[in-house]
Amino acid sequence: MLALIYFIVLAIIAVGSAVCVLLSRHPLYGALSLVASMVSLAGIYGLLGSPFLGVVQIMVYAGAIMMLLTFVIMVLNGARDSKTPMFDKVSLFVIPAVIVLAGLVGFALVRSPIAFDAATIRGSVAITSKTLFDVAQTGPGYFVLFEVLGVLLLSAMGAAVLLAKKRLGSVDSEKTEDNH
Amino acid sequence: MELQAIYVQILALVIFAIGLIVAVSRRNVFFVLMGVELALNAVNLSFVGFAKTLPADASIVGQVVPLFSIAVAAAEACVGLAMVILIFRNRDSVDADTYSNMKG
Repeated sequence: MLALIYFIVLAIIAVGSAVCVLLSRHPLYGALSLVASMVSLAGIYGLLGSPFLGVVQIMVYAGAIMMLLTFVIMVLNGARDSKTPMFDKVSLFVIPAVIVLAGLVGFALVRSPIAFDAATIRGSVAITSKTLFDVAQTGPGYFVLFEVLGVLLLSAMGAAVLLAKKRLGSVDSEKTEDNH
Repeated sequence: MELQAIYVQILALVIFAIGLIVAVSRRNVFFVLMGVELALNAVNLSFVGFAKTLPADASIVGQVVPLFSIAVAAAEACVGLAMVILIFRNRDSVDADTYSNMKG
């Protein structure tokens, strides 16, 4: 019963701030609403019994990704086009289409018999790290995927630096480097 | 009244739908990125919700895969924002409708 009350409160916060993202005019307000939505989703992860995932959600999503997004919004002054209308004529077709799609999927979900299993394992730090770094021959082998993710993040960082730099090796970019 | 597994899935579905609407119908390019992030979040929630319906050992998988999905989302946000900076420098606008130089 108590879990249900917590879930309803967190779900209302999550959906409400998601609607705020949809309706806010300034991107910075949208980003802050998105942070609220992500934090309440982290609470739901904890409620469902995956506390490690909730902590990672707060650290990576609400911390790193949203910090990056907020930083870019403030640097680029993302609100300069706030005079143009938020929605255009295409939205008239898109929004009902998405709502109908969600209704169909929801109907299929409600018809399916799913229920919580009592024997499910709580995803604590110990059990998650043991699964993730199980290097045994017969293990699940997630550690290989983990290494690949390290390479992926490194290459993403390199690509971002290459893309966002003015022009590689030009006098202009080298001059700005000297200034910093 | 107890917390049912279907409630989690319905919440994930609602957040995914809102994220999809934000990504497709908003014009500001930052909101497009935020909608994608919202939809990714909803998918992670759905993963965890389904993992809790599985018995013992099978339920760990559904709690490890969202970790990878979060890491891929971090890489996606990194590259996506770099592309936004690049396009913004050329076009001087954040309205996604003005990015039409690849239109045939």
